[in-house]
Amino acid sequence: MQQLLAFIEQRLHLIVFALLQVICGFLVFSLNPFQQASFTQTANSVTDAGNTMSSDVTDYFDLKYQNQLLQDQIATQFQNSTIGTLLVSGDTIELKDTSRKSLYDVIPAQVVYNTTFKANNVFVINKGGNHGIHKNMGVISSEGLAGLVLKSTANYSTVMSLLNTNMTVIPNIHGMEYYTKLLWVNEAPNVMRISGINNLEELKIGDEVKTGKSSMLFPSGISLGTITKLDKNPKSQYYETEIETATNFRSLEYVFVIINRDIDQMEALISDND
Amino acid sequence: MTRRILYWILILALQLLVLNHLELSAFIVPQVFIILLITLPLHLSRLNQVLIAAGLGLLVDFFTATPGIHTSACLWLIVFRIGLLNRQDLKQHIANRLPYTVNSAGLVSFAYTAAILVFFYHLYLFFIGSVGAIHGANYGLTVLSSSLLSLTIIAIIQFSTTKRI
Repeated sequence: MQQLLAFIEQRLHLIVFALLQVICGFLVFSLNPFQQASFTQTANSVTDAGNTMSSDVTDYFDLKYQNQLLQDQIATQFQNSTIGTLLVSGDTIELKDTSRKSLYDVIPAQVVYNTTFKANNVFVINKGGNHGIHKNMGVISSEGLAGLVLKSTANYSTVMSLLNTNMTVIPNIHGMEYYTKLLWVNEAPNVMRISGINNLEELKIGDEVKTGKSSMLFPSGISLGTITKLDKNPKSQYYETEIETATNFRSLEYVFVIINRDIDQMEALISDND
Repeated sequence: MTRRILYWILILALQLLVLNHLELSAFIVPQVFIILLITLPLHLSRLNQVLIAAGLGLLVDFFTATPGIHTSACLWLIVFRIGLLNRQDLKQHIANRLPYTVNSAGLVSFAYTAAILVFFYHLYLFFIGSVGAIHGANYGLTVLSSSLLSLTIIAIIQFSTTKRI
């Protein structure tokens, strides 16, 4: 205690100096108009910079939550849309039956494992049987078709990626279905091929390839990709066609699992007919 | 004592009534009154020196309508002076209760201390005075020219008055 008192006594002039400087600061910046204006301007700049920085940091940490909200919103919009129910589209007329709900339920999921460098690529999502996901359900991304559920555990599912040599999809271009196969041939990531389209068909580079109505796993109109190469071989009557996938599999983060609610009834009808 | 009070009044009158109204140039605003702080007697306690500096600063602020600016500068000056004089051997001066002047400290030592303190005072004063709108070249020119004129006047005052007070 004595040491403390001695220290204070020794530094008393500095303590008084500091107190007087604080009072001076108050006098300078409150009673001198020019200094007051400068102080206010500087204080505002500092406050603005602080607020911006604080907002940036808060926004960054809020991104995960906002992402989840966005996913749920997309899923709800997709579910309530008329895709896959009754959609008649043409050059001038577009009829939408808004009186009934979509055939499909949509479950948002996050990709937790993904490969693009193998011949048969798969990815794993963080939703499974507990969320109503089972084998042979379609999976799409916000950009386009992504794959097909191979196997589900309680909380995870393995999805066969479009970049899998076992995955085939029937392409639909300009509303016309081509009963040939869209295949990944393991040449380059995100590049697929279609063989068997007659070169008399009026196709051009840039045309969008979508899903059609021949699959009950996906709604029609989901983008598969765009035509990037369209060669006519004089020795063949078919185009050599390359497609760049709509989904970028190397940066795949979030997907939506498509559940066709009436698939059992539809399959039963089709098997009766067969 | 009376001479000392008269000396203070005269120096303050010179600053407030003459030098503050010289208008030689916008770049020449000499602050000579700080000689009163530079030459404070050496036996005064540090706390008293700080309080005297604050009082003198407030007085000048009152007459120049610059609340707090001179007070703050005077406080910095006196603390800086305490630091500078601590490095000098002034035990005999303190024992003899002498003021810090050319006669008591010697020409070189006093000139060195006064030059640093005058320059520092002007540097701080013009910085606070134009805070937020400082033009580098004008600021430097004002500090240098005002400091030089102040030092010249302080030298004249010292050589003409030291022996008498």
